[in-house]
Amino acid sequence: MQGEIRLEELTKSFGEVVAVDGVDLRMPPGEFFTMLGPSGCGKTTTLRMIAGFERPTSGRIMLDGSDVAQVPPHRRSVNTVFQSYALFPHLDVAGNVAFGLKYQKLTKEEKRRKVKGILDLVRLSGFEQRKPEQLSGGQQQRVALARALVLTPRVLLLDEPLGALDARLRKDLQVELKAIQADIGVTFVFVTHDQEEALTMSDRIALMNHGRVEQAGSPREIYEGPETEFVADFLGVSNLLHAEASADGGVCSLRIGERTFRAEQGDTGARGEVKAMIRPERIGLEPHDTPGDNRMPGLVERAVFLGGAHEVHVRVVGGELLKATVSNDGKPLTFALEEGSAVGLHLPPDGLRVLAPSQPPPSAEDAAERPVRTAPSM
Amino acid sequence: MINWLRNPWGKPRWLKLITIVYILWSIVPVAIAILFAFNAGRSRTTWQGFSFRWFTGASGSVLHDPQYQGALKHTLILAVICVAVATPLGVALALGLQRWRGPGGGTVNTVMLLPLVTPEIVMGVALLLLFLRVFPEIGLGTPAQAIGQVTFTLSYVVVIVRGRLTSIGPEYEEAAADLGAPPHDQLFRVVLPLLIPAIIASAAVAFALSIDDFVVTQYLSGNASTTTVSMLLYASARGAPTPALNAIATVALLITLATLTLAFLVYRRFASGREAAAVAALDI
Repeated sequence: MQGEIRLEELTKSFGEVVAVDGVDLRMPPGEFFTMLGPSGCGKTTTLRMIAGFERPTSGRIMLDGSDVAQVPPHRRSVNTVFQSYALFPHLDVAGNVAFGLKYQKLTKEEKRRKVKGILDLVRLSGFEQRKPEQLSGGQQQRVALARALVLTPRVLLLDEPLGALDARLRKDLQVELKAIQADIGVTFVFVTHDQEEALTMSDRIALMNHGRVEQAGSPREIYEGPETEFVADFLGVSNLLHAEASADGGVCSLRIGERTFRAEQGDTGARGEVKAMIRPERIGLEPHDTPGDNRMPGLVERAVFLGGAHEVHVRVVGGELLKATVSNDGKPLTFALEEGSAVGLHLPPDGLRVLAPSQPPPSAEDAAERPVRTAPSM
Repeated sequence: MINWLRNPWGKPRWLKLITIVYILWSIVPVAIAILFAFNAGRSRTTWQGFSFRWFTGASGSVLHDPQYQGALKHTLILAVICVAVATPLGVALALGLQRWRGPGGGTVNTVMLLPLVTPEIVMGVALLLLFLRVFPEIGLGTPAQAIGQVTFTLSYVVVIVRGRLTSIGPEYEEAAADLGAPPHDQLFRVVLPLLIPAIIASAAVAFALSIDDFVVTQYLSGNASTTTVSMLLYASARGAPTPALNAIATVALLITLATLTLAFLVYRRFASGREAAAVAALDI
């Protein structure tokens, strides 16, 4: 199967600024791969290097086993859907879609059939003669998709393609995009800063920060098993706690405030000052003074009824504020949710994770110290 | 009057007043000059009735006087050459400068704009010396005049085209490259079609500048056959001119206005209002 991308030690600096800092990633063929991260994390620069718009400072971009880092964009069999679509305003829909077919050895009839086929796929048949300005945002987005897919690229790059659309259309197109990807089996490399979008669409996510990959894996792996504070904080809602880690008969013991907790998840070999995290849905809310391990008392500061659940903010003894969700399963609550009521919190060992510290942002000195291989000239 | 000017609720009326006075001041003399182009008599100061005799009359009119005919023809020839050379050259320069990143780029950009602020007389004198001393084989006359006009209109073309290039952005080129278009096709299938409004506008501005130019064209003229309308106006204004002089000035003015209006309309059709306004502002 074609369409595998491997990035090896990929680095890009703009003068003093290191935008992408030694990224190693494997994007398996046929998968929906998402690069997720806050703005300025290097995800778009990485995508632009794969497309060929930026030349890497160092490192390799392996497309199905051959290094394309120095191949100009028009000779790479990857295609891009741009954030602003970049539809040619002087051409109609058919002209836009057929633009790249000129460079493939096809007969007129084959080209015509391909254009028709791809417009059917994105449900834009009958719009051939429209100019881009006469289309809605969602339609323009689909033309951009068709224009790239008609060339049957090995990899399709998508740079926040849903960013310019309103929330409702965004949801619809997320589903549609995912369906098209599954249908044609082309590798999609998708860039977004929207964690929800990444979670719902991707087979695999690489979470980026400060030009580096913080963690890569399936949405579930990353959500359930964040390794660093940044990942825990960026993806979903997390409670982060200061803790002192020590070994206690082979298990990791965390001292949080006045109490000790057993933690079975994450970097359980860590010792000393660490951050511990737990998802709101993993915290058990109980009546005050329920006996047992891994428990701490707290005072309800705020409770919000969300329909399917209550979101409860609890101030614990150490002074930290924890969010817990109590699912609305129809059973009566065994504790009061009024502001100021005392409750017990159960942080089960299999929900409590020890996190590795997040990498600091690369400074200019760091970049200078690292040996930077110069890119070979073309 | 004073009370009317105060108007505490709206915009200050004295600003309005200044504007009106200025518009009258700048338009009325031109309007009077145009009016006397239609004078039935020989006077350029006393109205003697309406007539087209100075445009189309049997003798001494713009249409039949060989001197006027020659000047008009030479003016148009120079304008056509100027447009034909300055426009493609300016587009090429703009494209090159847009991509020139790195050392020297800033300096070159500034140098490109110098002709816009250089006093024309300085440029005229410099070019005169150039053609007399350095390139005597070119000498003075039509080629020198054309080269001189291209030299200073080029900057305007570059400014207009670069403005459009900046507003287009690099994305369309990237999209074309992404879809497999080699650099040549990126330019001819995408960038140039998108530049059409700017190219038309800059060609019109170059045409108008060429027709209006006096200093450079005068300095580089050879003999009587290289006299343009503006030179003719200057030379005969102090002699004993007839309203035919007003008539030919009116013709030149109309050609300029028509060209610029056309350019503005074409540009507005294709480009955003703000760019069109910027081009309109260049119509000095």
